[in-house]
Amino acid sequence: MINLSVQIGNLALRNPVIAASGTFGFGQEYSQLYDTSRLGAICTKGLTLHPQQGNPGPRLWETPCGLLNSIGLQNPGVTSFVEEDLPKMKEMGLVVIANVWGNTVKEYGQVVRKLSNTSVDAIEINISCPNIPGQPITGEQIARTARVVREARKACKKPLWVKLSPTGEGSSLQLARAIQAEGANAVCAANTFRAMAIDITERKPVFRNIFAGLSGPAIKPITLGIVYELSLALEIPVIGVGGITNWQDAVEFIMAGAYAVQIGTANFIDPFCGIKITEGLTTFMENESIKSWEDIRGCAHQ
Amino acid sequence: MDKIDVRTAPVIANDQVAPDMFLLRVQGAFPAKPGQFYMLRAWGINPPLSRPMSVFDRTDKLLSFLYAMQGQGTQLLARLLPGDKLVLFGPLGNGWNQQGDQIALVGGGSGIAPLFYTAKVFGKVDVYLGFHAKPFLLRTFEQVAKQLYVSSESGENGQKGLISNVFQPHGYDTCYACGPYAMLEALRHPCQNAGVPLFVSLEERMACGIGACLGCMVRTTQGLRRVCQDGPVFRAKDVIWDD
Repeated sequence: MINLSVQIGNLALRNPVIAASGTFGFGQEYSQLYDTSRLGAICTKGLTLHPQQGNPGPRLWETPCGLLNSIGLQNPGVTSFVEEDLPKMKEMGLVVIANVWGNTVKEYGQVVRKLSNTSVDAIEINISCPNIPGQPITGEQIARTARVVREARKACKKPLWVKLSPTGEGSSLQLARAIQAEGANAVCAANTFRAMAIDITERKPVFRNIFAGLSGPAIKPITLGIVYELSLALEIPVIGVGGITNWQDAVEFIMAGAYAVQIGTANFIDPFCGIKITEGLTTFMENESIKSWEDIRGCAHQ
Repeated sequence: MDKIDVRTAPVIANDQVAPDMFLLRVQGAFPAKPGQFYMLRAWGINPPLSRPMSVFDRTDKLLSFLYAMQGQGTQLLARLLPGDKLVLFGPLGNGWNQQGDQIALVGGGSGIAPLFYTAKVFGKVDVYLGFHAKPFLLRTFEQVAKQLYVSSESGENGQKGLISNVFQPHGYDTCYACGPYAMLEALRHPCQNAGVPLFVSLEERMACGIGACLGCMVRTTQGLRRVCQDGPVFRAKDVIWDD
């Protein structure tokens, strides 16, 4: 029997394939296609204290092997999530990672507190959404990031993950060290890259918020590099996210030191992508006689 | 509801029916209600997104799509040859529900795509088609329309001008429309004044096609709605048009 399971701090997942926040709603939509409890876990759409409408369109723009999005954290708010969506997710047997955004440091704490006594399995702090008008990317500032994680940690009895920005002040490594020091249980590296497109006919940015977030296969080599570097330096687990499209990509991330991977834009390339990756990983372990992910995790480190 | 699935189908034909318009036919029995769509792709990871296309026609043996060659995805679709494989994901969206006896279908440009199958299934409906340049597929539409009305800039094979000026809502129980926003907007007030319910099929850029990514939102009087999952068909009076 092949054992795909993985232990991230004190959270056990049946396999290391997680649906990334913002691409999978609250798991209901993709459940029309397959049993989503076959995934290791599902990261929810980013949750805020109050409902958010998100950004005006356009919200999507394609680039070579990439996708720019400017959704702007449209969500029903944490209270509605806890009352309406979370029970459905748990009923379906999903491992739920609640992704959290705060418009202020205090708000991060408030949202985390509301989730901490629920049945969510872990909380993922989003400090790296590039799509909120007038808001700097918290994850680009080490001092503010530390304050956010401290506030969240105080409010959180659950495993606490922090989703890093791939860009910004200092290196991602410095940022991740600060996050580790504040008591996070894992870091997710990374998020979309702040990026843009210009409509040359209109002679102005495509997105009303000017910048948007770049995801997709185009960013995979960069996020892989970040995971490699962070997993060498950190004691807490690193979760890889950014451009993972197939099981081979997932193996690369594990060999770079990742405990798990998140699948985002690839769900749009192939809605069955997450399941196919778990199947591909099963075959890979079988063929390579791998007993546990520890056999190969970080094996590429030199 | 039919199960949503990803399937691969061989291309039977991919005919150019106008300078930038293609009619793609694939083999297989695919479910669809009038006004529903499929996400199509015939490539690997680039471009990342599949292309949402309304069902033009379906039988027990084939499914077809009428599309405008505009960007990278539709250029790749246009290269498909008989025997090539098309990947389809669907059927998606709500589609139109038949309401009333006297029905008008109004389409503009590539927005005529969902009207053929709708006319075929509903039966005995009047079809109004607006074209920018030379009209096409008129004989095809004649097979399913009770009465076919055509307009274009030149007036060839029909009347000159916009189809929204040709269409008069009086006497109809319901109007279904698909086309550019300007056309849908132009139909809104005449339908409202005549008391004829107008249902519009909207088009937006989509990533997931099933309501998860929130990329294709439209503002309605009931709040933000997903074009892919809550639509693409909406009551015109529910849509907030000032965007």
